[in-house]
Amino acid sequence: MLKSYMILSILLFSIGVVGLISRRNIIVIYMSIELLLNAVNLSLIAISADLADSSAQVISLVIIAIAASEAALFMSLFVVLFRNRASLDANLFDMLGNKNER
Amino acid sequence: MSDNLLLTLFLLSPFLSAALIFLINLLFKNAKQSVYTFLALSGSGISAILALYISYHSYFEKQIFSSHLFTWLNIGDFTIEVALKADALSSFMILFVAPVSFLIHIYATGYMNRDASYGRFFAYFNLFIFFMFLLVLADNPIIMFIGWEGVGLTSYALIGFYFGDIQNTYAGNKAFIVNRVGDFGFLSALMLLFLSIPSGGFGFSNIFLNLAEIEPFTLSLIAFLLFVGAMGKSAQIPLFVWLPDAMAGPTPVSALIHAATMVTAGVYMVARFAPLYNMAPEVSLFIAYIGGISALFAALIATKQYDIKKILAYSTMSQLGFMFMALGVGAYSTALFHMFTHAFFKGLLFMAAGAIIVAFHHKQDIRDLRGIKFPKIFVMMAVASLTITAIPPFSAFFSKDAIMGALYASGHIELFAMAFISSLLTAFYMSRMMFVLFFSKSEQAAKESPKSMFYPMMLLTLLSVFAGLLNMPELFGGNLNFSHWLNLADKFYTIPHAKEWALMSVNTFFIALVIYNTYKKYAYTNEIIVEKNYGWVTNKFYIDEFYNKTVVVLLHKFSIFFDKKISNFLIDEKINLTALAYLKLGKIVSIAENGNVRFYALYMLIGVVSGFVYLYLLLGSVL
Amino acid sequence: MRSLALQNEILFAILALVAIVSSIVMISAHRPIDSALSFIVTLISVAALFALVNATFLFVVQIIIYAGAILSLILFIIMFLNIKDENLPDEKHKNRWLFAISIIIAPFSAILIDLIMRSDIAVHGVVREGFGTIKDVGLTLFSKWVLPFELVSILLLVALVGAVTLSKRSE
Repeated sequence: MLKSYMILSILLFSIGVVGLISRRNIIVIYMSIELLLNAVNLSLIAISADLADSSAQVISLVIIAIAASEAALFMSLFVVLFRNRASLDANLFDMLGNKNER
Repeated sequence: MSDNLLLTLFLLSPFLSAALIFLINLLFKNAKQSVYTFLALSGSGISAILALYISYHSYFEKQIFSSHLFTWLNIGDFTIEVALKADALSSFMILFVAPVSFLIHIYATGYMNRDASYGRFFAYFNLFIFFMFLLVLADNPIIMFIGWEGVGLTSYALIGFYFGDIQNTYAGNKAFIVNRVGDFGFLSALMLLFLSIPSGGFGFSNIFLNLAEIEPFTLSLIAFLLFVGAMGKSAQIPLFVWLPDAMAGPTPVSALIHAATMVTAGVYMVARFAPLYNMAPEVSLFIAYIGGISALFAALIATKQYDIKKILAYSTMSQLGFMFMALGVGAYSTALFHMFTHAFFKGLLFMAAGAIIVAFHHKQDIRDLRGIKFPKIFVMMAVASLTITAIPPFSAFFSKDAIMGALYASGHIELFAMAFISSLLTAFYMSRMMFVLFFSKSEQAAKESPKSMFYPMMLLTLLSVFAGLLNMPELFGGNLNFSHWLNLADKFYTIPHAKEWALMSVNTFFIALVIYNTYKKYAYTNEIIVEKNYGWVTNKFYIDEFYNKTVVVLLHKFSIFFDKKISNFLIDEKINLTALAYLKLGKIVSIAENGNVRFYALYMLIGVVSGFVYLYLLLGSVL
Repeated sequence: MRSLALQNEILFAILALVAIVSSIVMISAHRPIDSALSFIVTLISVAALFALVNATFLFVVQIIIYAGAILSLILFIIMFLNIKDENLPDEKHKNRWLFAISIIIAPFSAILIDLIMRSDIAVHGVVREGFGTIKDVGLTLFSKWVLPFELVSILLLVALVGAVTLSKRSE
C-alpha cells in the first residue's frame, strides 16, 4: 500500500512540475504549486500510517497552513498583475533578466 | 676624504644640481634666472675642482681611486657591481672633461641669457655631465653602457632643444636613431663578452685577464662590434650623418657635447679596450682605415661648407678620424693626447662661433658674415685656427705631429698619406673660414660679447696654446709625460730624430703654403660668393640622399609591411576576432537569461534530472 | 479481512486514477475556471486517499481548507477579476511545452519509481486505537511540535500583512 501511495505521490508531483514550467497562466501556475504540496502531503500521510506515527500528520498540517498563507499572497499578486497589465501572463514578470539593458 | 665619498660626490654633484633645476623648473614657473645659474655652476664647479684633485693625485702619486657602491646583479657566480674607478685613463679623461664642462657652463650662462628655457637647458646640461662622468668612471662595461646611453639621451634632448622648430626635432631624432645602430653593435659586443668570459665578474680588469681564453674569431668580432658603437658615437663613416645635423642645438651644446666631450667617447672606449684591440690587429687596422677615410672625407666636405657651425662639425669629424687612425696603429696615448688638445681648441672654436652668431643676430652663413669686425674674438679664433692647422708652437702641433709620426713609423704609408692630405685640407678650410670672416673689404661691426662668455674663452685660448707642453716629445726636450702617466698598452714607434725633423718641417711648410694660397684666394675677394656651390662636395657626396634612398626607404617599407600585415592583420585582427567571438557567445548565452522565472525553473529541472540520471547510472550497481 | 484489503485496493485505484486524470486536466485546461474545477476534484480525491489510511483529521482539514477555503478563494478571484478570453495569455505552443517538459521529467519519475519499487520501506506498524483522530493529532501537535506551530502562526501573520501591502493601490 505504501509503495502505491509513494508512486501516486511521485506522479502527482511530476504533473505539478510539468504544469509549473510549461504554463504561462499565473493561476494555473499557482494551482500547480498547490499540487506539488499535495503530492508531498500524500506521501507524508502514507508514511505516517505505515509507521503509526502522527508526527507526519502534524507536518502535513503545517504544510497546509503554509499553503494557505501562500494562497493569500498569490491572490494579491493576481489582483496587482491584472490591475496593472490587464493580463494573467507570467511572462510579464521578467524584470529579473537583462531585457531593460538591451 | 675617502675614495668612496670623493667619487660619489664627484658623480652626484652635477646630478643633484640637474635634479634640483628640474624640480624648480617644474614647480616654480617664475624662478629667477640667478637661481638656475647658481645651481648649474655649483654642480659643475664642484665636480671640476674634484676632477683636478683626482687628476693631481693620479698624476703625481699614481694613486688609483676606486669605489664600490653596491652590487647590482648577482646571478650564480656572475655579478655586476656598480663600481667606480678612477685609474690613470679615467683621471686623464675627467681632467679635461670636467674643467671644459665648467668653462662651457659659464659661457652658456652668457649665451643662454634671458632664454625662455634657461632652466631646462641647464638641467639637461648637468645631466649630461653626470652621464659623461659615469661613462668615464665606470669599472665595468655595463655601467659604461649606461653612461653611454645617457649621454646619447641628453644629446638628443639638447639637439632638439628648440623643439618649436620641427627641423630641430628631426635632427635630434636622426642623431638618436643613427646612434642606435652603433649602440646595437656595442650591446652585441657586450653580450658576446658575457658569453665568452668564463666567470669572476665583469669588471675591466677581469675581462682583460681572461682575454687569452676567448677564441680569436670571437675576439675579433667583439672588437669589431665595439668599434661599431664607437663609430656611431664618434661620427665615423658610415655612421657620421647625424653630427652635422646635430648643430641644430644651441652653440654651447655643440661646443661641449658635439666637439669636446661626448663624441670623444668612442675614442675613449677603444682606448679603454686597448688590450683587446692589441690582440685583434686586423680590426685595429680596419679602425685606422675608417679613421683615415673619415678624416679625408670630412675635410673634403668642409671645404665647401658655408654654415660656420657645419664647417666646425665636419672639422670635428675629421679630427676624430685622426684620433682613430692613431688608435688603429696602436698609438693609444697619442690619440688620447690629440683628444685632450682637441677638446680645448675645438671648444674654443665653437664658443667663438657662438659669440659671432649671438653678436650678429643668429646669422650662421659665412657669406653673410663677411668682414666682421670683432677684434677680441678674432684673436682667439685665429689662435684656435692656427692650433687646429697644427702650426707650431700651438698645442695641436705636438699632438697632430705625434699622430703623423706614429702613422709614418707604423709602415702604413697610405694611412700617412691620408692624414697628410687631411691635414692640408684642414689648413685650407680653416683659413678659408677665417679669411672670409675677417678679411674683407666690407666691414660689419657688433657690440662685444658679455664677460661670462669672454673669460672662459680667454682661458681656453691659453690652454689651446700651452696644453701641448704637457706631452712634449723627446725631440723638444720633453719626455712624453702623459704617455707615461696613462701607461696604456701602447706600441711605441721610434723614428730617427732627423726623419722626425724632416717630417715636421715638410708638414709645416706645406700647411703654410696652403694658408698663403688660401689668403690670396679668399682675403679681400668675392671668391666665396662666386665659387661654384654645387656638385658632389657641396652636397656632401649625396650620402644623406643615398641613405634616405636605401636604408630609410627600405626600413620604412619593411615597417609598413609589419604594421599592416603582421601587426594589424595577423595579430590585432585575430585578437579582436577572439574578443568579438566572446561577445557574440555572450549575447547568445544571455538569451537564456530572459528574466522569466519559469525558464529558470526549467534550467533547474534540467540540472536536477541530469544529476539524478548521472547518480542513478553511477550507483546503479550498488543499489 | 482479505476482502477489506481488496476493497481498499480497488478504492485506491479508482481514487488514484481520478486524481491523476483531474490533475492532468487541471494543467492542460485553457481557461482558469476549468483548471480550478478539476483541481477541486483532485483535492477531494486526495482527501479521500487520506481517509483511506485512517488520517481522518487531515481528511477533514483537506476538505475544509483546500477544497473549501483556498479553492473557493481562487474561484472568487476569477469571478472578481472578470477574466475574459483576451485577458488570458496567448499560449500557442502550450501542448508542445507540456509534451517537452513531460519528456524531460520522465527519467526523474522513472528513476524514483524504480527506486521505490526496489526498496523495502513498508514497515506495517500496528495501527492503534484512535490513530489520526483530532485528539491524537492535537496531542502530538501541542507536545512535540509547539515551536513549528507558533512559527506558522507568525508566517500566517506575515502573509496577511504582505497580501494587504501588495494589493494596496499605490498613491
